[in-house]
Amino acid sequence: MTKEEATEKARKDLAKRLGIHDTQITDQSVTESDFPDMALGAAASGEMSGQMISKGWKIQLKAGNQNYEYRADKNQLRLYNFKGKNHKI
Amino acid sequence: MNRNNFLPHVALALILILVAAFAGQLRKWQSQWKSRMRIIPAEEKRREPVNSIESAPYERHGLSAPEVLVKFKQGVSEDRVQQITQDLHDQVDDEIEAVPGLDVIDDLDDEAAEQVANEYRKLPEVEYAEAVFEIEADDFLPSPVTPSDPQFSAQWALFNDGSRGGTKGADISATYAWSVTTGSDKVVVAVLDSGVDYTHSDLASNIWIRPNNIAPYEDRELGTIQDFHGYNAVENSADPMDDNGHGTHCAGIIGAEGGNDIGIAGVNWKVQIMPLKFMNAGGYGTTKAAIEAINYVIDRKKAGVNVRVISASWGSTQKSRALEDVIRKAGEAGILFVAASGNASTNNDRTPHYPSSYNLPNVISVAALDRNDQLATFSNYGVKSVAIAAPGVDILSTWLGDEYEEKSGTSMATPVISGVAALIIAHEPNISVDQLRAKLLASVDPLESLKGKVVTGGRINAAKAVK
Repeated sequence: MTKEEATEKARKDLAKRLGIHDTQITDQSVTESDFPDMALGAAASGEMSGQMISKGWKIQLKAGNQNYEYRADKNQLRLYNFKGKNHKI
Repeated sequence: MNRNNFLPHVALALILILVAAFAGQLRKWQSQWKSRMRIIPAEEKRREPVNSIESAPYERHGLSAPEVLVKFKQGVSEDRVQQITQDLHDQVDDEIEAVPGLDVIDDLDDEAAEQVANEYRKLPEVEYAEAVFEIEADDFLPSPVTPSDPQFSAQWALFNDGSRGGTKGADISATYAWSVTTGSDKVVVAVLDSGVDYTHSDLASNIWIRPNNIAPYEDRELGTIQDFHGYNAVENSADPMDDNGHGTHCAGIIGAEGGNDIGIAGVNWKVQIMPLKFMNAGGYGTTKAAIEAINYVIDRKKAGVNVRVISASWGSTQKSRALEDVIRKAGEAGILFVAASGNASTNNDRTPHYPSSYNLPNVISVAALDRNDQLATFSNYGVKSVAIAAPGVDILSTWLGDEYEEKSGTSMATPVISGVAALIIAHEPNISVDQLRAKLLASVDPLESLKGKVVTGGRINAAKAVK
């Protein structure tokens, strides 16, 4: 998965979760980041991950007045701290 | 002068002369006592000029250091000792109070030490005499062993020469440990991870193979697994091939073949790595898969495989009672469980990280250090819950595709401890889990940077561990 593919996938996921059209979502930023583990610092319930510093992308999206953070690398996309929980997409 | 005052003045003058004479004698006695009794530190000897009034007697004479240790027999008086040394044109440089009668003798003629010792040996008052000889550091430390692996110089965790901004000696003293043991192919270490690339040319000869006398793995629900190298709990198959790289990296730290002129050296040059796959290509997995894999290890141990360590470079802040239970069972089966403390820069005493925070007697939680013996900026810590630290930043090890990569994390520090545990077992095959854990925790170099951060306050020292 490329950065662009991850961003597009994140937009669609957020639109579906919020029940809105993806044109209502704006990209705030997509930045390269080091994450603390192989679940990109966003382990979902019941997950264990390798404790190795991992490179990926932090994808910041905005819908309405709310900001949302997705985290991705070539293998995975995750929604970070959405209503208090992490989600593997 | 008034005749009546004459006698009192004479008396006063005499008293003053006596006081002055007594004071002078006192200073002389003090000086003699100092020159006889003072032990002058080596640093001070180097610092002071030869003609300094405070320098050692042999230096005042421009001679070499005291040459002979003489033990006089019981009952030989101090006066007799003085007489003997004067007759031989020597002097007592120091008395060794702990051994009555033992004196350090300085030969003022600067004769050969053995000749002076012979002179004393002939005397009836002398029990023994021996020439002083130098004791070099090599008599205490084993000689370091350097492997032929071409990328060894980049393995700062094993031998830190101070390059790349590092601190010389900020390593685990592996080269000294290797003079005692380089590991054993009788010790099995389970790498519970994303699997291991068991075809990697620096790992292949150190991969566990199920012996013919051990039956294939059988699980009532999962069926029979014709395990050859290990177990894949993601697919419930016999193939634990790594499709991520993380497990292969950890395996290389524990046991990349050493001295084979290829790549790197593991903490163990020889060992048996049992690959276990419970994390997928993304580097994450479920508690269920981890439990299944640990269950496999316990079964293999009971079947007769000498698997003694599980290396667990993974975790999360979520607690699982089931995972805790199976790790406890591993301990009861004689298996040490070494776990990463986590990479959130947080205090595990307040925010536990599992499985490293399970308070079990077979669990060791590991923090990461950089090449300057500083706690890695990402590393979790905990003076009550994180046991020990090991190098974990920019660690070079094996990777997929027969490659090598530098990676960072408590994931990388964990297999260093697992590797040292395997070295200990190679050296002491019958050591128990409790003893092994205690030995690891006792084998550290204390670091200022770890005070109040980990239980032992130190970095693992492999040479101490196999002493």
